[in-house]
Order: sequence, then C-alpha cells, then structure tokens
Amino acid sequence: MSSISAPRKSALRRELQSIVGDDGVLCEPEELLVYESDGLTLFRALADFVVFPRSVEHVAAIVKLANRERIPFVARGAGTGLSGGCLPAEGGLVISLMRMNRVLEIDYDNHVAVVEPGLVNLHLSWAVGSRGYYYAPDPSSQQACTIGGNIANNSGGPHTLKYGVTVNHVLGLEVVMPDGEIVWLGGRTRDALGYDVAGIFVGSEGTFGIATKIVVRIMKKPQAVKTVLAVFDQVDHASAAVSSIIAHGLVPAAVEMIDQLTIQAVEDAFGCGYPRDAAAVLLIELDGLAVGMDAQAARIVAACREAGAREVRTAADEAERQLLWKGRKSAFGAYGRVSPAYMVMDGVIPRTRLPYVLSRVNEIVAAHGLRVGNVFHAGDGNLHPNILYDPRKPGEEARVVEAGAQIMKVCAEVGGSISGEHGIGLEKSDFMPFIFSVADLAFMQKLKAAFNPTGLCNPGKVFPTKKSCVEAGPQAYRPHAIEAQGLAQRF
Amino acid sequence: MPLLDKLHAVVGAAHVRTGVDLSPYVIDGRTPEAAVFPGTLDEVAAVVAAAAEVGMPLVPWGGGTAAAVGMPPARAGLVLALTRLRAIVEHEPGDLTVTAQAGLKLAELQSALRARGQWLSLDPPDGDRATLGGVLAANASGPRRHLYGTARDLLIGVTVVTADGSIVRGGGRVVKNVAGYDLPKLFIGSYGTLGVIVEATLKLRPLPDHEQLVAVRFERLKDAGAAVRALLGSDLIPNAIDLLDAASAAAIGLDGAPATLVVGFDGLREQVDWQVTQLASVAGPYGGRAATPLPPTAWGPLGRAAHDAFGTPVAVVTLSVLPSLVADTMEQGASSARHRGLTTAWSAHAGVGLVTGAVRAEGERQDPAALAAVLAAWRAAARVGGGHASVTWAPLAVKSTLAVWDDAGAAGRIMQRIKAELDPQNLLNPGRFVAGI
Repeated sequence: MSSISAPRKSALRRELQSIVGDDGVLCEPEELLVYESDGLTLFRALADFVVFPRSVEHVAAIVKLANRERIPFVARGAGTGLSGGCLPAEGGLVISLMRMNRVLEIDYDNHVAVVEPGLVNLHLSWAVGSRGYYYAPDPSSQQACTIGGNIANNSGGPHTLKYGVTVNHVLGLEVVMPDGEIVWLGGRTRDALGYDVAGIFVGSEGTFGIATKIVVRIMKKPQAVKTVLAVFDQVDHASAAVSSIIAHGLVPAAVEMIDQLTIQAVEDAFGCGYPRDAAAVLLIELDGLAVGMDAQAARIVAACREAGAREVRTAADEAERQLLWKGRKSAFGAYGRVSPAYMVMDGVIPRTRLPYVLSRVNEIVAAHGLRVGNVFHAGDGNLHPNILYDPRKPGEEARVVEAGAQIMKVCAEVGGSISGEHGIGLEKSDFMPFIFSVADLAFMQKLKAAFNPTGLCNPGKVFPTKKSCVEAGPQAYRPHAIEAQGLAQRF
Repeated sequence: MPLLDKLHAVVGAAHVRTGVDLSPYVIDGRTPEAAVFPGTLDEVAAVVAAAAEVGMPLVPWGGGTAAAVGMPPARAGLVLALTRLRAIVEHEPGDLTVTAQAGLKLAELQSALRARGQWLSLDPPDGDRATLGGVLAANASGPRRHLYGTARDLLIGVTVVTADGSIVRGGGRVVKNVAGYDLPKLFIGSYGTLGVIVEATLKLRPLPDHEQLVAVRFERLKDAGAAVRALLGSDLIPNAIDLLDAASAAAIGLDGAPATLVVGFDGLREQVDWQVTQLASVAGPYGGRAATPLPPTAWGPLGRAAHDAFGTPVAVVTLSVLPSLVADTMEQGASSARHRGLTTAWSAHAGVGLVTGAVRAEGERQDPAALAAVLAAWRAAARVGGGHASVTWAPLAVKSTLAVWDDAGAAGRIMQRIKAELDPQNLLNPGRFVAGI
C-alpha cells in the first residue's frame, strides 16, 4: 500500500464515490484483503482503494483522477490470473470491471459480438449457444475468468491448438488510455487501418490501458466432434505421438497430455476411466464436418499406435466424451488428494522437444526432493508442471520456487518461452532475460512509453524490476477465494 | 559521400548500386541515393546505423510488389534491399513451424515446405515475386484467408533491425507465447515504418489431401451476397469465398455473369466432394446456378481479379467492410462511379469483408475531381459499418490529388506516438503511411 495520508485518503474516497456512487468504492483494510492477490497466492499487495465503475465514462473519470493525483492504478477482472498481473504492486487504485459485464450486441450475420470486459468468458458462449455459435478461446478458468482479463493475458485454452488464442478472436477494443482518453483500437471489420494497435494491446497485461468494450468473433459450433483416448506405457511414446499426429497431416482441435501421478489422483477423485497403470494418456479431440470424421479418427489411431500406444479408444457417446474431459478439467482439483499444495508452472517448448524437456522437468523436481504432476496442452507444447509440496515443511516452498526457475531455464534453452498463457505479471518479470536481450526489452519499454508514458497504469509488471511493496517470495499457501469455492482451477 | 564509403566497407562495393543501376528502385518517379544489398543480419544493422548517423532515410525493399502502396518517401534516401537474405533458417516438420529470412521469395518458401508436406497458409497475389518480409510488412493476403486468417494469425516470432540499428527479437519460435509485448503484431502491415523485418517464424499447416475451387453464377450481386450469408451460417467450412462482378470474372477467364461466387474447399476427398454438393443447396434458393469446377490455376489470378480487369487502372481502392455489406458495397460503389462517368471492376474476399474496387483509366478524358468524389463516396459507405477505404494503387499524379489513406481517427494519434518512440528521427519510409507517418 502506498503512503497516502488519512485526510487525503478521505478526500479521494469522496471524489471516487462522486464518480461511481457510494456503493462503488472499497477502502477498509478488511475489504481490500480480498483483492490483495490473484490466483497465484504467492504474491500479495494491498490497494488503497478498489473502485467499481459501471461505464466507460466512470473508468475515464477514475483514470483522470489517478493521473491528477499521480497514484498508480490497475484493472482487475475476476482475479483468476496466475502471474500476479492484476496486483496493485505499488498501491493505489484497483479498478474492478466486474460491474461492466453485459453482452452489448450480437451480430450473427457478421459473426461478431460486442461485450463489456467484466463478462465471464463462458457466459458469452451461453449467450450465443442457442443459435449454434460459441466463443472459441476456452481457458480452463472460463467459468469465472472475464473476457477483459483474457485480453490482458491473451489467454489460451485446450482448443487454441486449432482455433488460436484470444488475439485471433479480437477485432477491436474501446480503450481508456492511461491518460484517461477514450479511444477505439481496431473496429468491427476484419482488417484494421494502420498499425494493428488492437493486436498489440491484447496481451499487454494491463499496461497499455483499460479495455471497456471488446469486439470479438463468434464461431459456428462444429457439426461433429470426436474424442480419442490414447494410453501409453512410456511418457516418451506419448510425447512422440504428438509429433506423429502432426506428421500424419492432422491438426486436431486439442491434444492434451495427462501423466501417471495425475491420472491416479483423478481416478481416486472422479473415476473418469483412465487406466491407473498408464504412464501417460493423450486426450485428442477432432472437430469439423461429420463427413470424413471416421477417416480422420482412423489416422489419429494409426499415429498413436505407431508411436507405441498400448490402447486407443474413441468415446462411444457424448456421456463418455464428457467423462474423459472431466478428468482433464478436474485434474487440478484432484491434486488435493495427493498433496496439501502445488504450484503450477507455465512454459512452452517446440513440440518435438517434449520427451527431452519432460525428463529434465522430472530430474529437476526430484533433485529438489519434490514431486511433479503434468497435465498440459501437449499439442501446443505448452507445459504445466505442477510441483507438489507441503507448505508446513520449512524450506519446501523455497525449493519449489527454485525448481520452477530451473524449469523455465530449460524451456528457454530449447528455444521455448517462459509463458504460454499465464503471463509474466510479477511472477516472471525477473525471468524475462532468459529469452529476451537488453535490446529486446529496451524496445518493448519504448513501445510501452507510447501508450503509458507516466507508467501509472499497472506499474511493476512484465519488465525486470525491484518488487517494491509486494510481499515476494515463499509464503504459506492459501487457496484463492474463488478456488476455495470450486469455481476455478489453476491451469 | 562518406556514407557511400561506409556502405562499401559494410557490404562490399559489389552490393551497393548507384546511378543507372537504380532504375528498378525508382518509386513514383523518385530515384533513391543508392540501393544497398546487405548479406547478413549484422550487415543490415550496420547499414541502418550508418544511415541513422547521417539522418539518411531508408526504404526497406523486398520484391517491390507493394512499392506503390501509400505515398512515395517524402525524402529520397537509401533503398535497403533484403533480397540476399533468403535462407530457411529452420524447418522442423514435427513442430509445424518455419523460421526464414525476410528476403526469401514466398513461392520459394512454399515449394520447400511443400516438399515436406506442409505449407504456409498465406496466398497473396504476386507470391512468385513477393518476399516473406514484404508480405508481412504489407499484411498481404489472398482468398484462403477466409479459413486460415492473415499474417497476424500465423506470425509467431520476428527479428527486426530498429531505426537505431539494433537487432530486436519479439515473440519466439513456439506456437503459443505470451512473454513480453506481441511485437510480431506491431510489424505486420507497418510498411517498413517501424523497423526492418529481417527474419520471421511462422506457424505452418499440413497440406490438405485435396482442394477444389468452384464457381456459382448469379443474376445479381445482391443475390450472391445473400448466398454468402447463408453459406457463412451453414455447416460448410469453405477455405475461400470470393465474389466477382462481371468485369472481374472476365479478367480471370470466366464468362461475365453479373455476379460470380468462387468458393474453395479443402480436406479429405470425401469432405470436399460432400461440400461441393451441399453448396448447390445453399446457393440454389438465392438463384445460384449449378457449381462449375475451376482448375487449380484459377487461384492465382483470383486474388488480383479486379486489379487486372482493365490492364492498368487509374486507381485501385481496398475497402474493409462488414461481410454482410459486401454485395451492397460493390453494387453501390459501381453505381456511384457510373454516375460520375467512371467504369469500375469489383472483387471481394466476401466472407471477411475485404473488397477491391478498380477504376478504369480514361486517358485524356480523366477528371481528377470525379475520381476524388468517387473515393469520398466509397469511404462514406465503408464507414457506415465501421470500415474504411484506402487507395492501394494509383500513379503518383493521381495519388497526389487524393488522401491515399483513410483517416485513422483517434487511433492515428496513438500510431503517431508509437512511430515517434520507435523511429524518433523519422528515417524509416517517412511520409508513406497512415496518419502522416
């Protein structure tokens, strides 16, 4: 929290209330606690105020006030982020967009919807579902996370293998710039005029401004879907199958891998029909035309068998398909059966390096005296090693953090990235030099200066920096409020 | 001049062209000081640094296919040709990605990929002459963008030489990556005004088993437009939906029906066949006649149909509109031109709302005021649905009488700030782009 004097704070509170109403401002310490962290509870930072605007005019007025008073501000959606990106690292204002959650317009002729940033991701698919449409980006927290938060992090999900990540579905944004000006970036048509400023804004982790309206593409639901479970006795064979599928000329909608530790936890918890003795399973989904679906599935089966699968089966009906996916989607919750706590990592590697990197991950974790479960987007090469630990054991959390850094280094060494979908935020800002040079980072800083010259908009994120007021480093694990309610998981 | 000596020292005298050798690099009648052909990324960086030191403007140059887009450089400078940088740096089929240098011709890249069963799903016109870097810098696309998107959906990593001569990398070599700002998006369609693209990493696709292009003729553009809407709402998954008026259809060798819908499908043979059959039942209710198959050679001319309708037109305008407004845009655009005595040809990537209108040259009778009035009318129409219209080809004499680029509004000011931060001396393609950039 920043050091705002009591009289000034009380004046600010009145002014904020004059913008958003008396019920739109929180500033009591116990109220602010709810907003001190996101889904990554390792980092905490207290705001001076949490403000709940209802309109773009509210947001612009709040941002102008923050500029006048030289206090930092950061936008926040549902708080399901996993990199500390929406934390008020230097105190100041948290601007919650949760009251701006409407679907403003659906244009079925042009496959476009206009939504507010606080809309929950899944609610958009619900809104258009009865007409046979859906919103493709499907982060695993989609029951809780907001589209505005997805914009900040350029969120992915299992089906991004075929359909791309958030930015591939965003055409335009109404944005409150860091100085309070309201500007449209991009628009409703597919090709923007000039630089792709909407494309650059997506994934800027809240450092380029605050999106207040979002134009997204909606897609027709596929005519047919088929889900295949491939069972392997060796992890290497499962990894090889991923490249083998690609080599067979197929791009499935999703290819997810689940390892043995995770399979056993899931089976204990839910009984989804994964063989407990398997070293790993691949969950592969095809979608598209009904015609040719069987032929494509046959190619998938052949590719998996060639790679050494001991069993490959296709979900017989929708109920079995849902059960197979339930195992994947509930994996994170199931870790509670085998460990008091876990930390999810997010790294990306070239698909062909999966066998090498997975074995390195196991070595690194074992060398730190810990266990790891892997459940991840294998088709994209997007790893999510989940390091299991007991926060009550002294020093164990520090070893988790150290092992995590080493895993990120391995991802960087094989030509990968330190984040596929969770973002850099506070968590990984010091890892940026693993993959970017001084010149790369200096160039990005200049780009930031074009949007956010004062630096008041979400300071302390993305770039390597001293972590000021944030309580960094190992602390006792606590589930986030949303996680505790079972609304979201850590992917 | 001392700069020339320095350039000789950096790239070797054999790779610096001056005098009469510069004729291929004249843009709109303006001759550059010299054309430089660096052979490595470091040489590109050294050339840019040397130019920056003396305030010499730079025009990055690939295949020259988009050299006439936008205004000519405000000041004569150096042409920085990337054509010696044409290596495929890495292609690992199992990763479905490729890294290549910017000066590689798109067609050469495609044939190397095809040999290994893959392709880069970008099919702009002039792919045999255009370079990879140029295609990205111009955000060029073709008919198959309907299903496979544009460069922003494919480019995952980029290496650029910035205005001060630094080598900067953004993105990476993996298909999913949110570390740092998305620099690949910044450089796509930036027409060399923010940095010189020297290397790029892109997502690939497996070659489809089979592909088929078919033509469906209609009596009216309006009917074809209604058929497009029905097609977009159907279960079919076309990879291209192009709409041509009579003049554009004739340009690609089809009889000049008032409206021709050219639709592509790919996938397994049975999927393609089933969709071609289904297309009849989608288009039939709107007056579409039986689909006739087109040969694979029709793909190339398709993307340039309007441009090629009149040999050398007096202007080509590209309009971005809502897909539902494509047929109206074409019909009303032709009509407003006709009222001012101008003849036009129209084509569109109809499913994504990218429309091209070409205006026939009238020689002695050419009236600049009529052309300006037509452009204004088209712009007003495009803006109704939130779109825009810019002149993408015209002789300098015409361009200098028009606002070539549409007005970028408030976003234009942000673009100017980006340009000022990243190229403070305004040396990269000065004056060429949107918002005076």
